[in-house]
Amino acid sequence: MAAPASRRRGFSLGRSWPLLFVAILALHSLAIYLFTRGFLLTRTELDLHSHRDDRTGVSPGCSSWPQPAVDRLVIVVLDALRFDFVAPSTFFEEKQPWMDKLQVLQKLAADEKNSARIFKALADPPTTSLQRLKALTTGGLPTFIDVGNSFGAPAIVEDNIMHQLVKNGKRVVMMGDDTWTQLYPEHFNKLFPYPSFNVKDLDTVDNGVIDHLLPSLHENDWDVLIAHFLGVDHAGHIFGVDSTPMIQKLEQYNEILEDVIDTLKSLSTPGGPHENTLLLVMGDHGQTLNGDHGGGTAEEVETSLFAWSSKTPPDAVLSVLGENSCNFDLHGKEVCVSTMQQLDFAVTVSALLGIPFPFGSIGRVNPELYALSAGTWDIQKTGINACTPQDDLEAWKKRYAEALCVNSWQVKRYIDQYSGSSIIGFSAEYLHHVAELYSKAQANWSEVLKSTCPSETAKGEEFKESASSALQLQIDAYSSFLESFAKLARSAWTEFDLWLMGTGLLLMILSVITHAYILVRLNAVYQPSDQECASSRIITKLSFAFTLVMIRAASLLSNSYIMAEGRVTNFLLATSCIAGLWSSAVNGNFNIEEFIFLLLNIFARFGIELGMSKQIAGPTATKDHPVSIICDIFGSSFCNASVDIFPIISLAIVTCIILKLITYAVHQRFLKYFIMSGTILSYAFIANHWASESTLLSHAKAVQQTGRSLAPRFVYAIGGLSLVISALWRLFAPVGSLKFNERITSLSAAMLCSWSPVILMLLGRQGAFVALICITGAWCIIMLQQKYQKDSKLEITGSCVANPVSVTQWSLLAICLFYLTGHWCTFDGLRYGAAFIGFDNFHIIRQGFLLSVDTFGVSHILPVLSLPFIAIHCYNTVSKKSKVKDVTINILIQVHLMYGLITAITTTVTIICVTIQRRHLMVWGLFAPKYVFDAIGLLVTDLLICLASLYYS
Amino acid sequence: MGAEVAQIGAFTAVAAHALCLAGLAAAHSLAGRGALVSDPAHALRLLVVCEAPLVIVVFSLLRRDHKRCSFLKAAARGLLGLPIGAFLNAFGAIVLGAPVGTKYWMATTYWSSLMSLFTFVPAACVFGASKVDWQNVLSHSIYCTSSNVVDYMISAPSHGAVIGAWLGAWPMPLDWERPWQEWPICVTYGAIAGHVIGILVSLILVVAHKIRVRVKAD
Repeated sequence: MAAPASRRRGFSLGRSWPLLFVAILALHSLAIYLFTRGFLLTRTELDLHSHRDDRTGVSPGCSSWPQPAVDRLVIVVLDALRFDFVAPSTFFEEKQPWMDKLQVLQKLAADEKNSARIFKALADPPTTSLQRLKALTTGGLPTFIDVGNSFGAPAIVEDNIMHQLVKNGKRVVMMGDDTWTQLYPEHFNKLFPYPSFNVKDLDTVDNGVIDHLLPSLHENDWDVLIAHFLGVDHAGHIFGVDSTPMIQKLEQYNEILEDVIDTLKSLSTPGGPHENTLLLVMGDHGQTLNGDHGGGTAEEVETSLFAWSSKTPPDAVLSVLGENSCNFDLHGKEVCVSTMQQLDFAVTVSALLGIPFPFGSIGRVNPELYALSAGTWDIQKTGINACTPQDDLEAWKKRYAEALCVNSWQVKRYIDQYSGSSIIGFSAEYLHHVAELYSKAQANWSEVLKSTCPSETAKGEEFKESASSALQLQIDAYSSFLESFAKLARSAWTEFDLWLMGTGLLLMILSVITHAYILVRLNAVYQPSDQECASSRIITKLSFAFTLVMIRAASLLSNSYIMAEGRVTNFLLATSCIAGLWSSAVNGNFNIEEFIFLLLNIFARFGIELGMSKQIAGPTATKDHPVSIICDIFGSSFCNASVDIFPIISLAIVTCIILKLITYAVHQRFLKYFIMSGTILSYAFIANHWASESTLLSHAKAVQQTGRSLAPRFVYAIGGLSLVISALWRLFAPVGSLKFNERITSLSAAMLCSWSPVILMLLGRQGAFVALICITGAWCIIMLQQKYQKDSKLEITGSCVANPVSVTQWSLLAICLFYLTGHWCTFDGLRYGAAFIGFDNFHIIRQGFLLSVDTFGVSHILPVLSLPFIAIHCYNTVSKKSKVKDVTINILIQVHLMYGLITAITTTVTIICVTIQRRHLMVWGLFAPKYVFDAIGLLVTDLLICLASLYYS
Repeated sequence: MGAEVAQIGAFTAVAAHALCLAGLAAAHSLAGRGALVSDPAHALRLLVVCEAPLVIVVFSLLRRDHKRCSFLKAAARGLLGLPIGAFLNAFGAIVLGAPVGTKYWMATTYWSSLMSLFTFVPAACVFGASKVDWQNVLSHSIYCTSSNVVDYMISAPSHGAVIGAWLGAWPMPLDWERPWQEWPICVTYGAIAGHVIGILVSLILVVAHKIRVRVKAD
């Protein structure tokens, strides 16, 4: 290609470069959309409903939905109730401080074995409240994609218990977590909702529930009462399980439950309002010791359910309940614990209340929970089959078998409907197997019906036994059908659409290849062909940068490396620093920046380890940490004081640096003064906010109030205002007034200064430390880049090629910062607390925006917006002024392209990894969240690059 | 610069490396099987104690400037270089993420001393404070340009040890729950393996160099 032609080509690209980035964004969006469609499958939701008269004349034996067995139902939901909160500590290896706090439940389970029982309830992941509530009421398996809706819960369209309750004239009262009102907007007769999303608030919801719970128990205007407490969940999120607030919460619950049980007992006399009431105290999911939940680990999945019936069933119930897991509690009494699937909850409750089972429920009526209700032991006298068995147990078994009969029929109906209407059904082979199980059980049933209803002649002990065993066989047959279908459903609702996934992946790979091709082409156009030496150096740099990126990308193929991603990234960043130091040692000239960068790596490393220790539970992780060692040496009071003072000091340093940056980088006078005053004001407000939260100083209430809520809002407002001003300046300022590169530094400094206070505010006190690391790191990279540029004597040709190592370091530093700020790639890694800085109420757009700024601020927004600083230094190496703009734009494009390419490569490898590992045990716990974070991160990066290209061009 | 320095033969190079390897092997057999995994600090101490005198003696004999520098002076340089190199290596390891804490610091000290014996001490014995030689040894261009056998003998094993230790860190984050994934066991294995490979490479380079010289002379 001839030289003039190539110049022209480069220039034309310079005009249209925003278009290039828009194209890349579009391609990536399409690829990710397709892949997501294939990977994060939603179940097809059927909006069919069960009806009361569904069963008339269907099959013999079970011609109607089960009769009601309880009159009233009290459900107390304690959010994030771990199994070991309820079960006696003797069931566990070691007694922990949070165990045995709900004494009243343990006592009842030990004293009234016939009517009270503790269950270990196994939830299905994802273990987030919304998904669990949906599963509890529909009896289905909500899929992963719903996690995204957790911030704004949509109403449930599928058939569910609430719908059936309303349809069948039952009155429902709800109090507590307002997620219920979002899920079921029109289902409650009376409701007392309280906002659930302010994680820092431990008491509002609980106090509200307490105010209404006991009075409501005396009322007669409801059939089902739901009380949803949130304190334990919030205490876990903020303080962790092993903390005083958690234990206080549990003790408070113990008192409340004691009151509830006393009230129910006092009203349970024959003829009283609670003569036949079932009390369920249950969790929707568990939590880890850090208070996190969402994944599928045992701690998160194991929650508990306590059931107590006010009417005591006959002693025969004990033979149904079994003694499979019994142990002595602290007082030497025997307590037994059963296990149930949370999936079975909806259908069991429906059977107990005598309402039609939800259409999409795939659970099985749980025998133990069903037996606990005395109502199921009442011998029913139906007209036709008036042959009553003598034995209580046999009568119950017959009733249970009938319930299972209806249960199996309902599940079979769902299977048929689902396979008929859904595009991706179940595998035909397995479906056939399940259908076979059903028809076998059904054939058996008619036999059993005949044999259990004996003719006058065949009576006696022999017959009784055979009938009992036939019933048992029948129950087993239905159970095996239901269980095998539940198993099939569990595996099938993670079926992937490989076509869409493949297309998405292919598009992604293609986009990466094109991306790289454009970059190489640009490089080739601007590469001075006569400078052999320089080009060989660039090739070394390029291959080194590429190796780093590839190692990082390849590390994502293993789950352990994803867990340790922060440390791996830090390792690679440190490697690049050491390599830089090595090469400058070879050249014989050391830079002070290299040593600073190394030291910075050490700080970053400890910060990342501190962040990681929050993710991996347990005190072992923090024991050997230098911070705790320092605390041991100097005592805890010194430690606490320094925790309060250190952020303020570093904030002051950060402010000084930012002001310096403004005076140096912003060349337009009006813009400079505006931004400077905005920055000073913002940082003053941040300091005010932190001071109001600290315990070190005591202030007047009014000061505290303004500091808490008004200061953050001012900061957001100033940030928004300066964004608008700089955009306006960009639009209306005369182009010729400043040199091109001065214009770009002014613009990007303005951009940075409007974003950084907001991000710092959201990050909280750790933010100041992070900001120091961020600024120092960026400064080191820029200085080293400048030195490199000076050394390689590129001013001769007047051309510049961006340094790939700098850009790679930039992106590695960005990822380190993500982990340094205490984030990690799972949904419980989101810092929900940040969304409520300055606001107490939940608003989906506002809080969602703040949360995403907090999540992506320091790792995506700031690095992308400050990319021009790596590019811009080139101007002083260019001799001819006319070329400045041309060269600068070219470098800017290259740097942005490179940064985008690095992100795209990592995301592509994540996608490949997710595709490979889609059957991995941790796919929903680890790989899928990682994919979601990376995909969103890539789109955010692309979008920011697009905006930046528009802004700077 | 290599012209006036007395060249050593390929046989000497082999013997020197063999001595160093023998030290490692002796320490290994003294410590016993699996000692590095069960008690890394003890095993590393043995390795350092056995290897240090050998390395210092061997490379002091190979010192660059025979006229101006006595054997004792070279050995003293090596002894001084041991803690300096250990400090540099420990610093590098901590930058890269080696755990810091009371539980680890003995092991880290011994490990970094061993790394120093692999990397820093030989160069300190041979070159002393000569800046140019140090730069030469650090650079990768030494493999194609150097005319000195000792350069090969120092650079390849030390580069090997560093790269081996770097690669040896990769199993550490994996969740295999094996005892050897602990710091600094697998890193030590990596360093020793890299060092041995480096020694082999340096011997090949020495032989190739000798052949090249002979061809040129003919």
